[in-house]
Order: sequence, then C-alpha cells, then structure tokens
Amino acid sequence: MSTDQITAKRVSTNSASTKHISVKRYLPDTSTETYWQEYDLPVDDSTSLLDALNHIKEQLDSTLSYRWSCRMAICGSCGVMVNGIPKLGCKTFLRDYEGDIRIEPLSHFPVQRDLVVDMAIFLEHLAAVKPYLIGDNPVKPYDPKAPETYQQTPEQLARYKQFANCINCGLCYSACPQFGLNPEFLGPAALTLAHRYNLDSRDNGKKARMAELNRHDGVWSCTFVGFCSKVCPKHVDPAAAVNQGKVEAAKHTLIALFKG
Amino acid sequence: MDKSSSQRLPPLKRTWWLKHRFFKLYMLREATVLPLVFFTLCLLAGMVALLQGADSWQGWIAFMGSPIVLLLNLVALAASLFHAATFFVLFPRVMPIRIAGHSLPDQAIVAGQWAGVVVVALLFFWLLGRGA
Ligand code: SF4
Ligand code: FES
Repeated sequence: MSTDQITAKRVSTNSASTKHISVKRYLPDTSTETYWQEYDLPVDDSTSLLDALNHIKEQLDSTLSYRWSCRMAICGSCGVMVNGIPKLGCKTFLRDYEGDIRIEPLSHFPVQRDLVVDMAIFLEHLAAVKPYLIGDNPVKPYDPKAPETYQQTPEQLARYKQFANCINCGLCYSACPQFGLNPEFLGPAALTLAHRYNLDSRDNGKKARMAELNRHDGVWSCTFVGFCSKVCPKHVDPAAAVNQGKVEAAKHTLIALFKG
Repeated sequence: MDKSSSQRLPPLKRTWWLKHRFFKLYMLREATVLPLVFFTLCLLAGMVALLQGADSWQGWIAFMGSPIVLLLNLVALAASLFHAATFFVLFPRVMPIRIAGHSLPDQAIVAGQWAGVVVVALLFFWLLGRGA
C-alpha cells in the first residue's frame, strides 16, 4: 500500500461529522418526571456510544449520569437501551446508526438516575443459584507426584465454557419480557450460571441447585422468547442454557417420583 | 433521601410485544396453537360422529369438506409447519447431541428433524393410498 492510500484512508476514518442523540433523563432530586434531552456531538467512525456519553459529560453537560468502567466489553457495567434494544455502550458504534438514536436506561430495572439502574435484584438472583463449585475435591495437601486435583479434559471444559463467558451485564434481563412481568423470575443469566456449574465435571452441587431451578420462578417461567440470546454481547446463548435446565429439572422431578 | 422512593420502574404494558419485530414473531409462534385447537376439535367431533353411527359420520365428512373448514384446516397446517420450523431450529440448542465427545452440528439436527417429517408424511400417504 502506498503512503497516499494510507493518508487517504486515515482522512476518511477521521472524517468528523455531527450526530444527534436523545437521552432519557431522570433527576429525582428535581422532578419525578422523565424527559428527553437532545445532544449534538462530533463523531467519527470509531466513536462508540460510551465515547459519546463521555463527550457529553465532559464537554456539554456534567449532570448526566451513566455507568462504565472497562470500555472494552468485559466489565458489563455500560448497558443501556439503544432505540429500544439493550446494548453495551462501549460495544455500540454510532456509525451503525442513521437517524434517530434514543438512549434509555436498561428496561425492567428500577431507574435511580438518568441511565443508572438498580441491579440489586439481578445480583440476588445470581447469588441464589449457588454459583460456585459444590462438593468438589477438598483441597488436599499438594503432592507433586500426583497433582490430580481439579484436572479437567478439554472435552469436559467444552461442555460449559460458552456459559462461563457471561459478564453479568444484565442485557438479557432487559430483553426478557418474563422478567419484566415478574422480577422474581431468576432470569437468563442466573439460570445460565447455575447450568454452567451443573455442567462442570468438578461440581457435585446439581441437587442443591435444583430447589431454586425447579420451581415456577426458576426455569419454568421461561417461555423461550429467545431475545436474551440475541442481545447477549458475549454469545453466551442464555436461552439455550435455561431450556437445557428445563430438561434437567424435568429429569430431576421424574427421578424423585420414582424414588418416592 | 430515601433511595427506593426515588426509584422509577414503570410496569410493563400489555402491549410490550408490539415493540419489536422479534417479539411479534414470538407471539406469532405462540399463536399457531389457535388454528391447531380448531383442528383438534374437528378430530374430536369426528370421533364422536364415528361412535354415533353412519349418518353422523357422513355429516362429519360433509362438514370437513366444506370450503370454510378446509380453509381453516389449511391455515392450521401452515401454522403447524411454521411452528415446526421454529421449533426445529430451537431443538439442537435445548438438546445438544454429543457423539464421542463431539457435538453434532446444529444444521445436521435440523435436517434430521425435517427428514423425520418427510418420513412420517410418506408413511401417512402410503397408508391412505392402501385404505382407498
Ligand atoms: S448472559 Fe449475556 S446478556 Fe446476560 S448478563 Fe451474561 S453476558 Fe450479559
Ligand atoms: S464499559 Fe465495561 S462493558 Fe462497557
């Protein structure tokens, strides 16, 4: 590639233009009503929604509240609704949007202020499914001649690896109408996490988790709408995990029936 | 200020599913049960007619042949094929099949299910052909 081309390319990537975004504001200390606020900002091809929010906060309006940390789709804290679809701010690029860009806080969670929601119930649901190894090999004194504790083959890892990629961003909860209708529903990420541990060859806690999973607010509230898997930024496919969980829960019920 | 009293959570409206194409498609999938209920009722009426004797059986046959009933049952057929199509795609995600430690590709499972439909349909037409 000649230098000319490189320069030409660079000019086009940096070509700044202006985009218009609307943000749903909620400032409980001034009013109990929400309102839409419009902002015009300079963007180029690399401007993420999070960059845009940072620009607003730093240059235009310091009263705007939102969450972020890693800006690389790993901390899971920057979730917002973009035109009604849950997205990570740092993984959403304004170049992909023409016309209206409407930013709202994540659906189905109580809004505390602007784009900041209260995720307490989500964290409670995650904790409820006992998301840790149960009854695994107790830690033995390390024996260099037989280092066998926690060995796992690639096949055993492959069974749950996809479900272990969750970053707890909560986008799937905003995509789930069943959670919207009933916040007691454990929801996609928590049920996926439970399934991830149930599939782990080192774990023996499936029975202990079944009490939570095998009930109305557990797997049985899911009607396989499947939107959770569409919006998941980590391709975890929570809908698949939840419905595999239904199969497990049904097996558990049947076995309990036979044992009397 | 009390934290919870300042929080805002508007309840989900009954029209939530009108918001996206994805939710509408989901509702369509769920609605396929309605024409199927009609078809099931038709079959049930047929059983009753059969028990009641030749006259009512002939009546049921005439009823099933009437254009509106035929149309409704065609809708039921289309609905069940649509439901099958959506279900078959979901199936490998719910029941991943692993053979010797390797998972079978999703497309293979979907194709297998359609092959099953074809086999059952052929069997059905064969039986029908022998009966006639
Ligand atoms: S399953 Fe996906 S969408 Fe849900 S919390 Fe985990 S990473 Fe986010
Ligand atoms: S800022 Fe961490 S996921 Fe977006």
